[in-house]
Amino acid sequence: MSANSLQTLANAGKGESTRTLLRVIILFLIAGASISSRLFSVIRFESIIHEFDPWFNFRATKYLVANGFYKFWDWFDDRTWHPLGRVTGGTLYPGLMVTSGAIYHALRALTIPVDIRNICVMLAPAFSGLTAYAAYLLTNEMTPSSSAGLLAAAFMGIAPGYISRSVAGSYDNEAIAIFLLVFTFYLWIKALKQGSMLWGALCALFYGYMVASWGGYAFITCLLPLHAFVLICMGRYSTRLYVAYTTWYALGTLASMQIPFVGFLPVKTSEHMPALGIFGFLQLLAFLDYVRSAIPSRQYQTFLWLFAGGTFGIGLLALVVATSAGVIAPWSGRFYSLWDTGYAKIHIPIIASVSEHQPTAWPAFFFDLNFLIFLFPAGVYLCFQELADEHVFIVVYAVFGSYFAGVMVRLMLTLTPVVCVAAAIAVASVLDTYLKADSPAPEGHQSEEGSDATTKKAAKSTLKSTSKPVVGIYSYLSKGIVVGAFTIYLLMFVRHCTWVTSNAYSSPSVVLASRLADGSQHIIDDYREAYQWLRQNTKEDAKIMSWWDYGYQIGGMADRPTLVDNNTWNNTHIATVGKAMSSREEVSYPIMRQHEVDYVLVVFGGLLGYSGDDINKFLWMVRIAEGIWPDEVKEREFFTPRGEYRVDEGATETMKNSLMYKMSYYNYNTLFPPGQAQDRVRGVRLPDVGPTLNVLDEAFTSENWIIRIYKVKDLDNFGRDHASAAAFDRGIKKKKGTKKRVARQLRIE
Amino acid sequence: MAPKHRNVTPAAQQQQPVATSSSNVAAAPVAAAPSSSSGSVSGGSSSSKMGSKQQNSWDQVVVNIANYYSKNTPQRTKLLDAFMAFLVAVGALQFLYCVLAGNYPFNAFLSGFSATVGQFVLTASLRIQTAEANKSDFPSVSPERAFADYVVCSLILHFFCVNFIN
Amino acid sequence: MKASAVFSAALSLFTLASAASSAGSDKGTSKIKLPSTFKPPQAFKNVNLVHVVSVEKNYVKENINVLIENIDKAAQDEYYIPFTADQASRLGGVEVKDRNRKEANPPPFSAEVVEYDPTSNTQYLRIKLPAPLKTGGQQTLGITFYLLKAYSPLPASIKQDDAQFLTYTFSAYAPSVYTTTKQKTEVKFPSANIPDYTKIQDFPTKQGSKLTYGPFDEKPAGAYEPITVRFEFTKPVIHVARLERDVEVSHWGGNVAFEERYTLFHRGANLSSLFNRVKWAQAQYYNPNTYALKEMKFPLRVGSTEPYYTDVIGNVSTSRFRSNQREALLEIKPRYPLFGGWKYPFTIGWNSDAKNFVRKLAGGGYVLNVPFLEGPKQPEGVEYEEVQIRVILPEGAENVKFYTSVPSSSITSTEVTAHKTFLDTLGRSALTIKARNLVDDFRDRELVVSYDLPLSATLRKPLIIFSSILAVFVSAWLIGNVELKFTSSAIEKK
Repeated sequence: MSANSLQTLANAGKGESTRTLLRVIILFLIAGASISSRLFSVIRFESIIHEFDPWFNFRATKYLVANGFYKFWDWFDDRTWHPLGRVTGGTLYPGLMVTSGAIYHALRALTIPVDIRNICVMLAPAFSGLTAYAAYLLTNEMTPSSSAGLLAAAFMGIAPGYISRSVAGSYDNEAIAIFLLVFTFYLWIKALKQGSMLWGALCALFYGYMVASWGGYAFITCLLPLHAFVLICMGRYSTRLYVAYTTWYALGTLASMQIPFVGFLPVKTSEHMPALGIFGFLQLLAFLDYVRSAIPSRQYQTFLWLFAGGTFGIGLLALVVATSAGVIAPWSGRFYSLWDTGYAKIHIPIIASVSEHQPTAWPAFFFDLNFLIFLFPAGVYLCFQELADEHVFIVVYAVFGSYFAGVMVRLMLTLTPVVCVAAAIAVASVLDTYLKADSPAPEGHQSEEGSDATTKKAAKSTLKSTSKPVVGIYSYLSKGIVVGAFTIYLLMFVRHCTWVTSNAYSSPSVVLASRLADGSQHIIDDYREAYQWLRQNTKEDAKIMSWWDYGYQIGGMADRPTLVDNNTWNNTHIATVGKAMSSREEVSYPIMRQHEVDYVLVVFGGLLGYSGDDINKFLWMVRIAEGIWPDEVKEREFFTPRGEYRVDEGATETMKNSLMYKMSYYNYNTLFPPGQAQDRVRGVRLPDVGPTLNVLDEAFTSENWIIRIYKVKDLDNFGRDHASAAAFDRGIKKKKGTKKRVARQLRIE
Repeated sequence: MAPKHRNVTPAAQQQQPVATSSSNVAAAPVAAAPSSSSGSVSGGSSSSKMGSKQQNSWDQVVVNIANYYSKNTPQRTKLLDAFMAFLVAVGALQFLYCVLAGNYPFNAFLSGFSATVGQFVLTASLRIQTAEANKSDFPSVSPERAFADYVVCSLILHFFCVNFIN
Repeated sequence: MKASAVFSAALSLFTLASAASSAGSDKGTSKIKLPSTFKPPQAFKNVNLVHVVSVEKNYVKENINVLIENIDKAAQDEYYIPFTADQASRLGGVEVKDRNRKEANPPPFSAEVVEYDPTSNTQYLRIKLPAPLKTGGQQTLGITFYLLKAYSPLPASIKQDDAQFLTYTFSAYAPSVYTTTKQKTEVKFPSANIPDYTKIQDFPTKQGSKLTYGPFDEKPAGAYEPITVRFEFTKPVIHVARLERDVEVSHWGGNVAFEERYTLFHRGANLSSLFNRVKWAQAQYYNPNTYALKEMKFPLRVGSTEPYYTDVIGNVSTSRFRSNQREALLEIKPRYPLFGGWKYPFTIGWNSDAKNFVRKLAGGGYVLNVPFLEGPKQPEGVEYEEVQIRVILPEGAENVKFYTSVPSSSITSTEVTAHKTFLDTLGRSALTIKARNLVDDFRDRELVVSYDLPLSATLRKPLIIFSSILAVFVSAWLIGNVELKFTSSAIEKK
């Protein structure tokens, strides 16, 4: 009786529909977990766009929603990069904005008017649920075990490597790009396995969507041909590969060229040449394959070598000639710096100065992936065991993903999917082996398969009748230990991920928070205070000069034209701003007048101890300016003779006279009792006499001195230069050597 | 953008060896009916690199190919091959025009050329998927499904081309 | 008590208001055009006039108490007061009472601003007496009105920590189109520091913070003697250029949601030197009297919950909300201290239980009673140049009527439109009332709206949601039954 009821219970779990229902429920729960894990900053602060880049995407989305798609496509933005302007419609990746706009209009059509800001903030968590599902689909193609897929979805949902760029509020291209990446890979594997044109076309369409969304599409453009090439070299050329790859290449390249920002790059740059080369190579191979079936093999051999080798050689020669003739552009700086890591620091300091482009430190791997990082090689090894076409893909992806993740911190993001998939395969194989309660059938036994707890009991009754005791991996002790250990690992993984998300990746960086003495949260909202002041109390087209970091935020929150912003497309313009910031007032003033600057904005963290301020970034400004004007701006002059970078009395003259130094410390010493002015970030005591500013007036300083806004003085009414005008205003008492002593001449009448 | 004469695009250049190689093959079967002389001429062009010593074997190879082709290929597949040959010819013409008359506007040239290349590739895939010999390779794609896929993919291809021609 | 008083007031005065506010787009204006050769007839004589000008707050409150006598041969019921065109555009909150009558519900005086020639500089306020005054009869009138944007700061630019002085120009003789036998003008100031004031003859007499000009003898109609006073007012001169107040009633949620969007200006003296944070931070230690706006207090109705304070770039965290059974006080601080010439727009909002404001009538309709204005309560007063109140009623509300005790001369237009928002098919009825030139003395005036909500309207939304989701399920099932195969599965299995 009990055996029967247990039997029925066991059978209940075996039904196909039960399993599907379980899978659906589990996937929904995983999506829910991934979404809620990304909501820390919305709950702690508010629903606001974070950081810097997302503000531009938000502004572009608002423009799209307000003005429609055609105006957006042709948008020329004259409120950025003054006086150059920017052809924004043609120099951005529109996928993200169009997605948000589509969701906005769809919801409005369903009479649920959600504010566009909320859509933009919540887009990334919503797509992270979809990414988990895509990881599930991808892993399902790799192994027949369904638990691997679910584990991959769970890992992908909460892995910090992905969360870092997809928290609520991080409205950046990666929010949808990673979903498209994983889904494109899934479609590619599906197309390859089936050899179907339809799946290949779907893969191409999603690849096109991915090209519209993120500059990292070049990863797919290089990985799929590489996969095809490895398969060919392994001797696994097949007609399915031909069908899938050529369909993907033909449709995908056409789709990618529709985006104005990509334009003709797929036929003109070196990053896309591998795809084209493999395409041609595949045509060759298909032809050879066809011929092989037509003629006897000995003739075929000669034919093969002469014909095929000749064609391949000619093709390669043509490629090399074209590249050296300049018709095909060589690897662009951003990609070249992935191979030669020292290149950017010397030649393109802007790329080198971005903190995300630094090489990855070793702890970052564990920080972002926890125990997945040591299961990852195990999963790749298991792929080697099977080594069907799709497993080769995982291996190739793993190798190249690891290399790139090691070169640039930002590319940890592209490594995370394959780590999740491989680790899921490894964990699933372990758990599948050890969770099965049955043992291999000794004489006359029936082995049952299915879910664990119920069958364990059924197996127990049959176990007693075995003659041999079970040992090794079949004993309950070993099963218990292994399963228990992995459960602990999984729980610690969840705890680690939640801790990392909560502490490291949920800061909006527009709003800072600290704790008061009574434990309550004190919000430091200086950025928004200053931006709101700018927005309400300056004229509509007052031009703001600041370092390029804040350009998008000023454009988004303060709604004023800026000189340079985070797009960094014009290095000379940025170097001009850098030169203005790092030169003496007499040199900076003409530059500012020439660019019609009304206000200058600097970030100063000395009062609060906020270390992300402009004095800390100052050396990058100098370096970038030096790249264009090596005669006028020299980095060495900002270091003391002993080689230190100092801001107190020991600072060099160039440093003390630079506009940035003066703007940061103007009036700062009056805040403290005399002689005790302290810069809390650099940890030094400042000189008693603060700097004097002649060409600027202090317009606004925020509450904790984080943002300081200065107004550029108009030309003097009497035509004097500002230094003498200011000296006159201050009274002749403060002689700062502005008077020149002329040799006295005897007057003879 | 000033029209650039003699601007040979690398894509076209890369395509050219492939196109000519497949034109070699395609030209051969199409010309199988009239004569195999054109085939031998094209075969001769590739053999000219090697010298006349192996002329005999080359001729034999090509003749073997031609015979095999005309005997063993069903009518439907020959139709596909004829279409593919037409596409190659159109593509070659476009490329020739680009070389002679400059490639301005570039997107129009690319769009037209990609249409021929893309359609060629899709037709080749259809040919592969409907060939009897390959049935074992495609367990989940029946010939009818292959044709339906072909139609859908061609629609997508031409949609992009029309959008890109501007 | 409240319900019955409201009810009776509503019933008695709906006839007055419903004509102007029935469901349609009737835009009543407070200007009546008269022929261009109009000159008010000299039908009255001001026997005794006391003109009280109070400049204690941001705005000027003027009170004219006059005893009039009908010197015409026929009975007259129209009394005129002149204003310049500029004054007329800044004039608000006109109310006329007869203080001698002690009835509980005195019949109202109707006061409207009439113009007869748009290019002329003089416009008239016409007061209609409830009953015509017989020849030789006397009547006391208490006329109260407010003038916004009245002051100009002098000096116009001062330093951060200086005292602020404002000037105001008016006439020693009350503006009148009739002969005034005896009159007196009193000016009340916020403090005793009045550095400059115009002296005429041997007036004024100063008593503490009050100046008295007069009493004057008989003065003809249109007599005008300009007086300029300059007094200290080291408090923010707050001017709300535009207030949009939304009251959203939800029956299913049992909730009334309020949202107010302010566009705030400081009309005081500008900063002569640019803002110095150091001096400001140091000054805050001993909290001096300053003319910068540092914080605003909003006393809300008891029972208000979940307040929020945002502006165009996000939430503002510098706010505090104290709520208990006796009070609900929301204190907010703007992001930066507001000095003269600066602007600060912001949004506040809160929720409240519907049963505090909505009552169901015995006959089946509903009555909503909300305060007309619920803005900041500042000791220096707040003036509102343009006010737009939107009452959003549940979907399908019909027969919308309203009554308000704010003087109708201040109301510029009313209309009922449809407002579409979450899950609406028809749109909710929204009553939009536009008013101008109000001050925060009208904080306690109420707005009463009555509407009918048939049962079909109440059930509309759940039914629509249910049926649309049902339609989705049905169509999904239908689509799932469509077979997209070339051969049937039976053949494929072979």
